[in-house]
Amino acid sequence: MFEIEIDGKLVNAEAGEKLIEVTDRVGISVPRFCYHEKLSVAANCRMCLVDVEGAPKPQPACSTPVSEGMKVSTQNEKAKSAQKSVMEFLLINHPLDCPICDQGGECELQDVAMSYGSNVSRFNEGKRVIADSNIGALIHTDMTRCIHCTRCVRFGTEIAGIMEMGGTGRGESLKIEPFLNEGIQSELSGNMIDVCPVGALTSKPFRYELRSWQMNSTESIARHDLVGSNINVQTYKGKVKRIVARSNDSVNETWISDRDRFSYEGLSHSNRLLKPQVKFDGTWKEVSWEVALDFCVKGLLRSAGESNSMNSLGVLASKTATLEEYYLLQKLVSELGCENIDYRLGVKDTKNTINLESNVKLSDLEKIDHALIVGSYTRLEQPMINHRLRKAALRGGTVDVINSMQFDFNLALNNENIIIPCEIANLLASTLKVVLESTNQDVPEELNKLTITKSATKIAKKLLSSDASVIVLGEHVINNDNAKNISNLVAMLAKNTNSSTLNLSKTGNSIAADIAGFFPGKDGLDVNSMLGKDMNAYIMFDVYPEYDFHNSSTAIKALSDKNSFIVSMNSFYNNNVADYSDVMLPISSYYETSGTHVNIEGEFQTFAASVKAPQESKPAWKVIKVLADLLDISGFNYSDSSNVLEEAKHNIKQGHRAEESINITDTNSVEVIWQPSPYSIDALLRHSDSLQETKIGQINKATMNSSTAKHLNLGDKDDYLGVPVVISSLVANNCVFINANKSTPSEEQA
Amino acid sequence: MISNKAKKEINSWVEKYPEGRQSSAVMEALKIVQSENGNSLTTELIQEVADYLDMPGIAAQEVATFYENYNHSPMAKNVIRVCHNISCMLNGSDELITHLESKTGVKTGEVTQDGNICVKKVECLGACVGAPMLQIDDKYYEHLTLEKVDAIIDGLKEGK
Repeated sequence: MFEIEIDGKLVNAEAGEKLIEVTDRVGISVPRFCYHEKLSVAANCRMCLVDVEGAPKPQPACSTPVSEGMKVSTQNEKAKSAQKSVMEFLLINHPLDCPICDQGGECELQDVAMSYGSNVSRFNEGKRVIADSNIGALIHTDMTRCIHCTRCVRFGTEIAGIMEMGGTGRGESLKIEPFLNEGIQSELSGNMIDVCPVGALTSKPFRYELRSWQMNSTESIARHDLVGSNINVQTYKGKVKRIVARSNDSVNETWISDRDRFSYEGLSHSNRLLKPQVKFDGTWKEVSWEVALDFCVKGLLRSAGESNSMNSLGVLASKTATLEEYYLLQKLVSELGCENIDYRLGVKDTKNTINLESNVKLSDLEKIDHALIVGSYTRLEQPMINHRLRKAALRGGTVDVINSMQFDFNLALNNENIIIPCEIANLLASTLKVVLESTNQDVPEELNKLTITKSATKIAKKLLSSDASVIVLGEHVINNDNAKNISNLVAMLAKNTNSSTLNLSKTGNSIAADIAGFFPGKDGLDVNSMLGKDMNAYIMFDVYPEYDFHNSSTAIKALSDKNSFIVSMNSFYNNNVADYSDVMLPISSYYETSGTHVNIEGEFQTFAASVKAPQESKPAWKVIKVLADLLDISGFNYSDSSNVLEEAKHNIKQGHRAEESINITDTNSVEVIWQPSPYSIDALLRHSDSLQETKIGQINKATMNSSTAKHLNLGDKDDYLGVPVVISSLVANNCVFINANKSTPSEEQA
Repeated sequence: MISNKAKKEINSWVEKYPEGRQSSAVMEALKIVQSENGNSLTTELIQEVADYLDMPGIAAQEVATFYENYNHSPMAKNVIRVCHNISCMLNGSDELITHLESKTGVKTGEVTQDGNICVKKVECLGACVGAPMLQIDDKYYEHLTLEKVDAIIDGLKEGK
């Protein structure tokens, strides 16, 4: 630490810092375009030129390291004239089209030109014009406005991990463009809009909508993944118009995924459920809330029968509810004396699934020196967590993978094990045996018979030799025949190698559901047992059966049983829901209700509603509260959702704990991994048209290798479980990896 | 398609760089592939080179469009590279280029109908001392006048 002088003020600086970092820290404004605190230094726009005493020419503040005794002026004649000259050069080819430019009003070039530009242009020659490239449904390009700062190019290579934009040509004909006009593929591409300092890259869905100053901005939390990225929701006249990233270094830094940025489009989809409806004699009638809720109460009480027992009520919710909604619904149901409650709709066997704690902070994830990823394509499934892992890999950390398909990771893999799902448990067990043997511990009986494979030794050695390692367990394993074993093995491996664990299998807001106690009580039924029985009544919370249940046709059949009285609260209309329900209550979707998301660190992130729920739809927590009042249940006197949160925090429930037992079963048929494609994991995303148009949104394939295809008697023009077959050697033998944006399988074939 | 012969040649360049730095050979690789493809590159070829060197397609494209020695459309037998940077410009390269355009009947960058000649404006070739100047194959022609240029063109037309 030493002192330097900037504009006559003495300020502290650290060796190795760049001048601009110091000026930013102490609040001295230096204009810049190409510099971005999260990207490498390019020093190509020259806007940040400042005068450094002793240097013959002005120096770019972004690339000039500080040194002791340095005297800098950002404002003297030399600096000012350099900045003004650069500004004049940058404006030579920039069109004067601010009035029709979407960036107008939030444009760095516009702002800086106000302070540093001249009011008269000396440039009389023709301006350069660049043809726009179509780079997909999310980003609109106006490349004539580009000032070649290369932030988008650096974002691609450094953050997204795939170089998609580049600078072609040279001199006056330099253009920023993608190579092939195939559209941008990155799951983080929307951040290019944020980093672009001019109107060259703007949001396509938001094009020509509004000026930034016309909108209100509310702080909120994105709920599509386990991170809960911090966002600003910008609204106009009660509609969400745009979502931009909000910086929070401990959560999402300054980035958000495309999923979080563009899903808001679904809010205004014509498929929204907007009015309460009741089924009279098989036909739906729009009714008032009073009538609908009265109908619910009567129906629920009738279903209890003469014994007045709610044992035959089932309560199911999706993974996207808020903590408050989970808590209230759970409280309502248990007050009624019912313990049949579950949110794990996509799990084949809730007794054989993953229970693993996550015990690493997001910001520490980038400091690990080794990661073992089991059953996850983190890049598309948890983009922001993958970004942290990628940072760790760039710092020299290594990443091993145990998957059933080779994925296009954007980080360097050290050791990739592509094995059939039923072998995962064996490989982990064998790894554990190596670990126990090499640390001179007793090997449990169950592991004695196992032969140690080379890959197990490799994985074990890496885990043992790393100081800060993490084992990441993903979604592909939730329905594995050995899911529980895998989960336990990971926990034991982590314990014995001093690794942290990260459980990516509980997506959406599942962690909140666990905390709120939204799982079957001691004598309660889980989702599959409920569907297996003829329940007299159901309360379904934002459930879309063809997507949410592990086996959609069995579930729909079970629910369509005429005898059950079904209350559905949904934010979107759905045919199957309309078929089996007796009442449909329109509830708020994302950004329309206040609530809390609990992220993978266990961090409670509370958000306010950004807009009112449209038309007659209501925030779900209020609907549950009124339902409780009408059912004469006391203890629901909440004035707003923060009271609910307070109470929920005092009643935190423990999820199931991992056990130290292993009992691996062998399976010997073709195994299917069903993973919804990244943009179809919840109802809002499925209704976001622009996201659906992107490459990632279009992913819908059942990938298998040629021998599996032969075994199943399938060709590449066929469908498997309703999903088009793609034959590729990337998948383990005897395994089908399905990435579908359609409903879950109609029939269990595997 | 990159031929096996070309791949062999590319490999000899890759070997000159440290392991994992194979993309450093991109300039030579593009040159080799271009000469095999009748002195021009296509998008597909650039992508193939990029794939072969395990680098992003756009990164190879950046190189291929930055340097004047890569051609992106079918090229003439003789490429006349005329420098138009400051020294040559001050010494009359603009006039030379206009003259060349009228003499050949095509604009810079275009190929004459017989496929014989193409005039290209290029950046500084490091021969300011002989400005204005042009380059054909590896040969520099310096201190040019309109007459000298005429003689060069006539020579090319006769196939000299």
